[in-house]
Amino acid sequence: MATVVPPTATMPPAAPKPAVIQPEKVDYLNLPCPIPYEEIHREAMMSLRPELFEGLRFDFTKGLNQKFSLSHSVFMGPTEVPSQSGDIIKIPTSHYEFGANFIDPKLMLFGRILTDGRLNARVKCDLSENLILKANAQISNEPHMSHGMANFDYRGKDYRTQFQLGNGALFGANYIQSVTPHLSLGGEVFWAGQYRKSGIGYAARYNTDKMVATGQVASTGVVALSYVQKVSEKVSLATDFTYNYLSKDAIASFGYDYILRQCRLRGKIDSNGCTSAFLEERLNMGLNFILSAEIDHRKKDYKFGVGLTPLAVTVTVCCLNSIFFFVRGSFSPDEDSSKPLRRLSLV
Amino acid sequence: MASSKSGKRASLPRSNSDNNEGILTRVSTAVSQSPIVNTTKQAASDAGYITKRLLKSTGKAAWIVGTTFLILVVPLIIEMDREQQLNELDLQQASLLGTPPSAIAPQK
Repeated sequence: MATVVPPTATMPPAAPKPAVIQPEKVDYLNLPCPIPYEEIHREAMMSLRPELFEGLRFDFTKGLNQKFSLSHSVFMGPTEVPSQSGDIIKIPTSHYEFGANFIDPKLMLFGRILTDGRLNARVKCDLSENLILKANAQISNEPHMSHGMANFDYRGKDYRTQFQLGNGALFGANYIQSVTPHLSLGGEVFWAGQYRKSGIGYAARYNTDKMVATGQVASTGVVALSYVQKVSEKVSLATDFTYNYLSKDAIASFGYDYILRQCRLRGKIDSNGCTSAFLEERLNMGLNFILSAEIDHRKKDYKFGVGLTPLAVTVTVCCLNSIFFFVRGSFSPDEDSSKPLRRLSLV
Repeated sequence: MASSKSGKRASLPRSNSDNNEGILTRVSTAVSQSPIVNTTKQAASDAGYITKRLLKSTGKAAWIVGTTFLILVVPLIIEMDREQQLNELDLQQASLLGTPPSAIAPQK
């Protein structure tokens, strides 16, 4: 795949004049490795989709030794329940989550158990230098809410590929290839046997060190475009646009992301008039103080949250799931299940 | 217009016949029944209604803009100010201790 070399690469640059800046010669045999297909919207997601919540949350991680740590998490607040009439019903809930983590460079194991009986397990294992196995499982006492999924990621020199296997006969594969040093193109196919649905998707990503532009189309009818501009070291501005061909709804949003020395502040406004902000303030005990606000004037839905979390919370894990379910937008059974998965904040 | 004129003409003989009605009453009825008063009344009530609606919608718009501002901009201003204060503090410390500011910055 990588050996498809355009003729321009092997030819010397055409007679450069002294006044003109010589175009950088691109070595098409040594292209950088692209980022995983699922994460092509990573930067935009990080800026535009912080983990907003409503209520109170308190997370605490205690390291027992270098590799083993325990985590405790308390959540109190309303959770939204979908209703037939379309308006939001909020039910006050509270739960405690106990987790155990094992982190080794080659093997990562995470387990989470909630007081309402849900169990989450996650494994990331390096099978060889280039092959990574990622698996996650969710077991719940509610029927049809348990699922499992395994991903095999293969990382090539300038491409990445992934195979996904899930319960309910869900199979997926994707491939992404660097075409130029800045541009990478990818595609995916998936088949969900349980719902008799299949789909195909394409994605493109163009990134330089100042900006990232991505586009994604899937046969489920979703078109997603995003653009992130890094204004300075601390500030980046992001915008995205999502259009669903089947449900004919389009939404665009614009957000800012300030990473300051003591805090990180993300704000967003979208075309539905929904405004949100997420502030993470670094306290000196290795804790983050978080404030989350979301205002939807049209639906008269106001959400405010306050919490404390430990410093190292990987957003990528959360993003990964949300993108996965987001692109498969028309899949309603998976859509509600993405919520508990997204709540899993690991590492 | 025509009807009101005819009404006035019809009322004229009546006002002439009973003379015990004072001149003030006659003037006041003439004023209150005149079409100008009616149109003015109508205009005033319309203006009042429009102003009320305008004020209401302006208030709502102001509320939305204000809350959006509160969510999006106010935290940003506060945090930028804090950042600036921290930077100044660092500069002061650097000048007091005589160390380059770059040596302090990574500690934070």
